[in-house]
Amino acid sequence: MLSFDIVAQILWTSFATSSYFVLFALAFALVLKVNRVFNFAQAAMMIASFYAAYSVVALAEGPGWLGFLAALAASVGMALVIELAGFRMLRKRRAAQMFVFIFTLIVSELVAYLAMLIYGTWPSTIFPSLFWPVTLVGPIAISAWDIPAVAVMVACVAALFLFLRFAKVGQFMVAVADNPDLAELYGIAKERIYLATMIAAGVLVAIGMFLYGTRAQVQPTTSIDLMLFAIAATIIGGIGNLWGAAITAVVLGIVQNSSVLFIPSEWQGFLLYVFLFVAIVFLPNGIRLPRRRRMVRKTIIPGFETADAKEA
Amino acid sequence: MDYLYTIVILVGLYVVLASSFNLVIGYGGLISIAHPIFYAIGAYGSAILARDYGVPIYAAMIIGALIAVAASVLVALPSLRVSGDYLLIASIGFQLGLLEVFKNVSWTGGAGGLTNIPAALIGNTGREGYVLLVVVVAVLSVLLVRAIAHGPYGRALSAMRDDEVAFAALGRNAVALKVGTFALGSGLAGFAGALYAHYFRFLAPEQFEILQSSVILTMVVVGGLRTTWGPVVGAVLLQALPQAITFMNLPPSLLGPLQGLLFTGLVLVFMAVRPQGLVGAGELWSGSKKEVRDGVRP
Repeated sequence: MLSFDIVAQILWTSFATSSYFVLFALAFALVLKVNRVFNFAQAAMMIASFYAAYSVVALAEGPGWLGFLAALAASVGMALVIELAGFRMLRKRRAAQMFVFIFTLIVSELVAYLAMLIYGTWPSTIFPSLFWPVTLVGPIAISAWDIPAVAVMVACVAALFLFLRFAKVGQFMVAVADNPDLAELYGIAKERIYLATMIAAGVLVAIGMFLYGTRAQVQPTTSIDLMLFAIAATIIGGIGNLWGAAITAVVLGIVQNSSVLFIPSEWQGFLLYVFLFVAIVFLPNGIRLPRRRRMVRKTIIPGFETADAKEA
Repeated sequence: MDYLYTIVILVGLYVVLASSFNLVIGYGGLISIAHPIFYAIGAYGSAILARDYGVPIYAAMIIGALIAVAASVLVALPSLRVSGDYLLIASIGFQLGLLEVFKNVSWTGGAGGLTNIPAALIGNTGREGYVLLVVVVAVLSVLLVRAIAHGPYGRALSAMRDDEVAFAALGRNAVALKVGTFALGSGLAGFAGALYAHYFRFLAPEQFEILQSSVILTMVVVGGLRTTWGPVVGAVLLQALPQAITFMNLPPSLLGPLQGLLFTGLVLVFMAVRPQGLVGAGELWSGSKKEVRDGVRP
């Protein structure tokens, strides 16, 4: 029998665990918006960042903050390699989209195999234990992981919003996303902006993967599933709409985690592919909410009346 | 001798897979790496029909291939209606999702795999007869793909790949052509899967994972995309290379990742150094006229 307490607990836990999904979705959506690439190589960035943190914290017994810095360096480093040695070369060659897809997928797989060779296929975690102390807030058990994770996610979303709105590089990213050639005419070095976008995605991925690795077990192939989740959120949220992708990631995370109430747990992973398929078949352009009609003051210039004005 | 037969059969099956994948990704320009799932559908479909429902093996093989065709249409039709890019995502989702189903339902044998699949025999010819059958199917597949690619259908494919808008403006149905090509390639893969199932007589979901996708993709890219003989060269070469690694007596935990590294590394090397593959097909790298005209960049 489902009680309010159980439902509230599942909803809270689902919301907290969706924090890393939001960061992965934002990273994927950002690169797709600005660089116009379905960056499947994001999985390679995820693997690199997780195993860097794992090496420092779990294997070398270093402090957590050092592990995070290692994750950050590995993810951004991988992003730089992918952009400079991959995407830039492909752009110079005017490569067909197909080759870009193949390149990103193959890079992901190559890094996964490399991780398997070095670390094996056993599931690993950054810290030895995945159990965090729990505090009861009313009927809901909140772990020591939940609040910092949600806070980090909210901080990252806010930072990205402010960065795109007020920072010069962020504004250039929006300009390049809108029209790269026009942006270049205005003196924006678009190659640098593509690089900056990959770095920003690398940072988001590193933070997300560090959160994920402190909460769940990771195998070299885990990142492909996480990336597919980000893709589903990006498509349903509407391609080019970063905030739509972030909100969708939260909703999908809650739906997937709450599914234990209705379906056996071994089918929980299958839901991801259902999301993906539904997104492509039914919501290829994302969910579009009806826009509020804006109050626009029309100034009618004699001789330039619009059809509406004439009818009126 | 059995080892040699096994190698010949594997090479033959990979020739079918690589050639049919070349039809999809090379000639059709359809971006999908989920070819192994249609191989799996053909294999599982044929094996279950023959084992559990008593369908004659060769009829089960054909039905298995037809199920693969139906599944490919199911994936391609909705995704291609929107955009070619979505086919890749839909097909990856379909591949991983269906493998998840294979792992969790009892009638496919679950994660443990499907056993006791009836063996296909051709009269009293033994294994030699089956080897010959696979070789004949491989040769016919290559010739079929060649005939398609160099005939009117192939010219239509080329026109569509080059400029889809102009192609549609001439009154041709690009979506139907794409779905048809995808279904044909997937059907061939499904038939290869059926041949595999009734020779090796054991199927497990991990045989059709992403590693298989990179294996087939490597064969096509290294051999030469959009060429008749490139995938054949790739299949022969890349079936021979892993055998060399097998002889090194490495533990299975190292063997799989090492083979994966070899395949993915080769694709990247060829993409950087010799994108046209061993059997070159000319200006492969350029985007279609539409992509160049629209300024679409990677």
